[in-house]
Amino acid sequence: MKIVFLLAACFSILAVALICIFLFANGVPAIWKIGVLDFLLGQKWMPANQLFGIFPMIVGSVYVTAGAIIVGVPMGILCAVFLARFCPERLYKIVKPAVSLLAGIPSIVYGFFGLVVIVPIMQDLTGGNGKGVLTASILLGIMILPTVIGVSESAIRAVPNSYYEGALALGATHERSVFFTLLPAAKQGILAGVILGVGRAIGETMAVIMIAGNQPVVPDSIFGGVRTLTANIVMEMGYAADLHREALLGTGVVLFVFILIINLSFSALKRRRS
Amino acid sequence: MKKFFALALTMAVAVSALTGCGGSGEETTGGDTAASGSISVVSREDGSGTRGAFIELFGIEAENEAGEKVDYTTQTAEITNSTAVMMTTVAGNKNAIGYISLGSLDDSVKALKIDGADATVENIKSGTYKVSRPFNIATKADLSDVASDFITFILSDEGQAVVEENGYISEGSAGTYTASGMSGKIVIAGSSSVTPVMEKLKEAYIALNPDVTIEVQQNDSTTGMTSVAEGGCDIGMASREVKDSELEKGLQPTTIALDGIAVIVNQENSISDMTSETVKSIFTGEITDWSEIA
Repeated sequence: MKIVFLLAACFSILAVALICIFLFANGVPAIWKIGVLDFLLGQKWMPANQLFGIFPMIVGSVYVTAGAIIVGVPMGILCAVFLARFCPERLYKIVKPAVSLLAGIPSIVYGFFGLVVIVPIMQDLTGGNGKGVLTASILLGIMILPTVIGVSESAIRAVPNSYYEGALALGATHERSVFFTLLPAAKQGILAGVILGVGRAIGETMAVIMIAGNQPVVPDSIFGGVRTLTANIVMEMGYAADLHREALLGTGVVLFVFILIINLSFSALKRRRS
Repeated sequence: MKKFFALALTMAVAVSALTGCGGSGEETTGGDTAASGSISVVSREDGSGTRGAFIELFGIEAENEAGEKVDYTTQTAEITNSTAVMMTTVAGNKNAIGYISLGSLDDSVKALKIDGADATVENIKSGTYKVSRPFNIATKADLSDVASDFITFILSDEGQAVVEENGYISEGSAGTYTASGMSGKIVIAGSSSVTPVMEKLKEAYIALNPDVTIEVQQNDSTTGMTSVAEGGCDIGMASREVKDSELEKGLQPTTIALDGIAVIVNQENSISDMTSETVKSIFTGEITDWSEIA
């Protein structure tokens, strides 16, 4: 029986290894051919003219992810605090499944929701086309909520109850005990949740593509259109040939490195905690 | 602790104020027609067959000093990667302008007349509406008999009649088709734009040759061309011209139909006619406001 488990474990490792090999073998030569600096720092993406600069897309991914954190993290942590320490049991039975359901909604549905609900509201508020950094940030903020809430809640619940009782015994109110003893004690777990949320936000594709505008330029305001790394790959992969196709795989390599950094910092954090 | 409640209260007020603005904004802007306001240009992604044809036909693609063809579509143009998102975007934004395949046009958006000609199949055939592109299929030299019989059918009177029925334009036919009574299997793969008409052709062909099975796989032009070259399918479909690098792999292209491209605006837009020069100026970013268009 042991061997079956071993095979199962090997299979997933093999999958990761194959993806790495495929991605780097196809993407890295293209990056060299274009020139590392031209590729990473080039401002112009015009595949028809052999100009492959993904700087606007890198900036776009960073902006949108940062926006998602600003929107989603405070809301997520407060929600986790509520679920762990304030929520009556009967309400918990409704809220918790609702949050889990949020995680299960396909991203294309989020995208469509953004396109028909958030985008028109933004059009009225800003007068532009309503697609851009802010719209994408709001939608991604909603999308990372379940991740942030789930991990933060279990981190808060993992704090020994004696911390809370100790604070109460010293005369602190319920709120004060939760916010000044439980939250600091659960800090690392919450940070882990945030990092996982970042991973989700930066890798999100189908929803963002519908509401970000996708202009391959560095946005000049938070209402300006933006194209992320993932959007760049998905939009053009279907039609791309030759160096264009390789450049898209190169974009994948950059994205992969981003995700790798995020996961490494996540595991570093976990190690420090234990 | 009061601090937290004060903060929560402030946020609640801010949120309700924002949504309040959203609601009233909708009411006031709803009545306008788009005779002014900055133009939201919506385009397709680089390498899309529709975009390639559009920029070529309107002269948005031009040669620079070095003799290279450059796509001058304004960098601030919003990019969508599907016809559906393009139509939802234009239908929901009264300042938007975009373009789609004529076969996909419906009432949610308004197609502009170009140089006075309506975007219709009749006008494309008569040559007054000039914005159209080819639908291609590609094969390798060692084509099976049954696949080549299917291509004969597509190019025949009967096949081209199917093309016309589905809103695309025939390029003329090569005589009548007589059922060959062959059997076998044909695998077709490629462009999602060509797939709908290919499905109809398949139905009509199977009605005549019940022993033949045809499998149509929908993906995209490049995948279609690649799988023909690698032997993964018999016939590839492309909604664009076949590239030189693909011809080098031994592909033989055949045009099976023409598809018009409609320039679309929001239904509320008061403009219904545009010269091709104006379209070009809008998509290259020279004209940025609807009020500049007389």
